[in-house]
Amino acid sequence: MQAVKEPRGGFFGPYGGRYVAEVLRWPLDRLEEAFKDIAGCPDFQAEFTRLLTDYVGRPTPLVFAQNATRILDGAQIYIKLEGLANTGAHKINNALGQGLLAKRMGKKRIIAETGAGQHGVAVAAVCAKLGLRCRVYMGEVDMLRQKPNVFWMQQYGAEVVPVLAGAKTLKDAVNEAFRDWATYPEETFYILGSALGPSPYPDMVRQFQSVIGKEVQARLAQQGLSPSVLVACAGGGSNAIGFFSPFIAAALPRLVAVEAGGRGKGRGNNAVRMSGEGLTGVVQGYKSKFLLDEDGQVLPTYSVSAGLDYPGIGPQLAALGESGRIEFTSAMDSEALEALKFFAKNEGILFALESAHAGAAAIRLAPGLPKDAVLVVNMSGRGDKDLFITARELDRENWKSFLKEEIQRI
Amino acid sequence: MKNRLMCHLVAGYPSGELSFSVCEALAEAGAAYLEIQFPFSDPASDGPDIQNACTRSLAAGFSVKEGFGLVERCAARFPAVPVFIMTYGSLVVRPGVEAFLLKAKNAGASGLIVPDLPWDYDEGLYAAGEKTGISVAPVLVPGTSEDRIRRILGLRPAFLYAALRTGITGSRTELGPENLAFLDKLKGEKTKILAGFGISSKEQVDALMPHAEAAVAGSHFVRIIAKHGEAGAARLKAKLADAVKALL
Repeated sequence: MQAVKEPRGGFFGPYGGRYVAEVLRWPLDRLEEAFKDIAGCPDFQAEFTRLLTDYVGRPTPLVFAQNATRILDGAQIYIKLEGLANTGAHKINNALGQGLLAKRMGKKRIIAETGAGQHGVAVAAVCAKLGLRCRVYMGEVDMLRQKPNVFWMQQYGAEVVPVLAGAKTLKDAVNEAFRDWATYPEETFYILGSALGPSPYPDMVRQFQSVIGKEVQARLAQQGLSPSVLVACAGGGSNAIGFFSPFIAAALPRLVAVEAGGRGKGRGNNAVRMSGEGLTGVVQGYKSKFLLDEDGQVLPTYSVSAGLDYPGIGPQLAALGESGRIEFTSAMDSEALEALKFFAKNEGILFALESAHAGAAAIRLAPGLPKDAVLVVNMSGRGDKDLFITARELDRENWKSFLKEEIQRI
Repeated sequence: MKNRLMCHLVAGYPSGELSFSVCEALAEAGAAYLEIQFPFSDPASDGPDIQNACTRSLAAGFSVKEGFGLVERCAARFPAVPVFIMTYGSLVVRPGVEAFLLKAKNAGASGLIVPDLPWDYDEGLYAAGEKTGISVAPVLVPGTSEDRIRRILGLRPAFLYAALRTGITGSRTELGPENLAFLDKLKGEKTKILAGFGISSKEQVDALMPHAEAAVAGSHFVRIIAKHGEAGAARLKAKLADAVKALL
C-alpha cells in the first residue's frame, strides 16, 4: 500500500500544497520547473526589472504622511503609494512577472481570473504589451459592479468571459480558469492573481510582489529609518505577502494584515477568515483557512471592496497568522470609507477601497504607538477605479442626479 | 460481451426524493455500479451540466447527511450494485478523512472518488480507505507521467478512475487507439478500471468494454434529468431507463 512519497513542496507549516485533480498536475509541475529556472536567469531578471521601471513605473513612492501623523498624534505614518503603478494597483508586478514567464515557456494563450478587475486589467495590459492573447474570467455579478474595469480590459484587447456558475464572483472565476486550463493545458498559461491556489503559485506571486517590501526597506534605510509596524489589507493576500516578504524572517517589525469586516459579524456579512470564523480546509488547490459551513461548503462572503471579497486566504499568510508572526485584524466597510475620506482630505491621497481597510487599521493603531515609531501602510491600489461605488456610498444624491444627466447627454 | 456501466448521478438533484428515483431507474435498468456525487459549492472538475445540477441541489438545501442517506437507501435497495461516492476534498477534509470514510462505510458505500485529493496530497485518505475497507479510487488522465502511473499502481488500488481525455466533465470524447492504449497501460493485476469523461453512446461503451471494468456515464444522465426532471418520477425514470438500456 505505502508507495514511497516524495517530499512535498509548497507547504508553509500545515498550509499550502498542490491539491489538484490529476489533469492539472503536470501543467503545475512544468510551471514549477520554469519558475525555478528563472531564479538563476539574469536575462529574465534584467527584462523584468527593466519593465518594472519603464512600464510599471517603479519604484513607487513612499511618502511621509505629515498631516495624518500630526492629527493621530502617535507613530510616524508613511504610505507606500503602490497604487501609482501602471493600471492602478500592485497587481501588475505579478502579472508582468508571470507574463514574462509565459513568454519564456512559449505559451501564446493567457488566461486569468479577476474579482474587482484590477488583476484582470493588469494582465490584459501586460498581454497587450507582450503580444499575448488574453482571456479573463470574471463572475457575472462582478462584471456588473465593476463595469469600468471590464471596459478597460476590452480596450487592452482582452476577451472578458462572464462566469455564470455558483455565486458568480471571484471564487467562481477561479474555478472557471482552472477548468479552462485543464481543457487546454498545452498552449495555456494561467496567470493567477493572488498568493494562493496550488503550489507554485503562492511562492511565485510572493516573489513577484516582494518588490513592494524591498523598495520600502531600501527607501527607509536611505533615510536612516527602520519600520516598527507594517499594515496591509488581505483578501487572498498578494499585496500583504509581497510587502511583508523581506521582513518575515526577523522578529520585527510588527506585521499587521487587515481583513474585510464588511457589514459586521455573521455568515455572509464579511470576509474575515483569520480573525473570525475561518476553518481549515482544502479548496481551489490549496490547504488554508476558509469560510466554510459544517459540511465543508464554501460560504458566501461580503465586502464593499470586491478585491477582499473572497472566502480563502493565501497559505503562507495563514501559517504566519497562526504562528503569531503576522497579526490579523479587520476593518468594516464603514471604517474603510472613513479612512478613504481621511487620507483624501488630509494627505491628498486616494486609497482603493481594499487598501482603505489597511488605512483604517493604521488610523486605529497609530495613536497607541510611540512618536518615534515608524508605521508604513501599503496603499496597494488607488481609488479612482471605485468611483461608482464610493460616490454612491459617500454622495448618493448628487451622484444619482449626475448619472441621470449623463444618460440624457448620451 | 455484456456492457457494464457505472451510472453517475448528483445527490439531491433534481430533488432529494427524486434523486432516489434516479438511483432506482439507473440500477433497475442495468447499471453495474452507481456513482453518487455529493454536490460541492466549487466543483472545479465539472462541466456546466453537473455544475448546474450541484448548484440546484445545494440551493435546495443539500447536506452531506442527506447524501449519506441516499447512499444508504440505494445500497440497501440494490445490494448487488456497488455504490461509489464522488465528491471534492473540502467535504472529505472538513469532518476528517477517517470520519467521512466511516460514514461512507456505515451507509454501505463501496468506493470513493475525490479528484482533488491525489495520492500524494491525500490528507491520509488512502491509508484511511484501507483501514475502513472503502476502496479509494485514484483518478488518472492521459497526461499523467509514467512515473506517477507507476506510483499510483503501486498503491494497488482495487479500482481506478481513468479520465479518457483532459478537461472537465461533459463534452464528448472521441475514442481512438490512443486513449484505449492509455487504458491498457493502466491495467494492474488486481486493479479494475472505471473509464469515463464524455461517454454518451453505445459505440463508446462497446469500444471501452474490452479495456475497462465499466464505462462511466454522468453528464449524459444529468442532461436527461435537466430535460425531464419536472415531468414527474414515472416519466423521468422511464427516460433514464431508456438511456441506460441504449448504452448496454
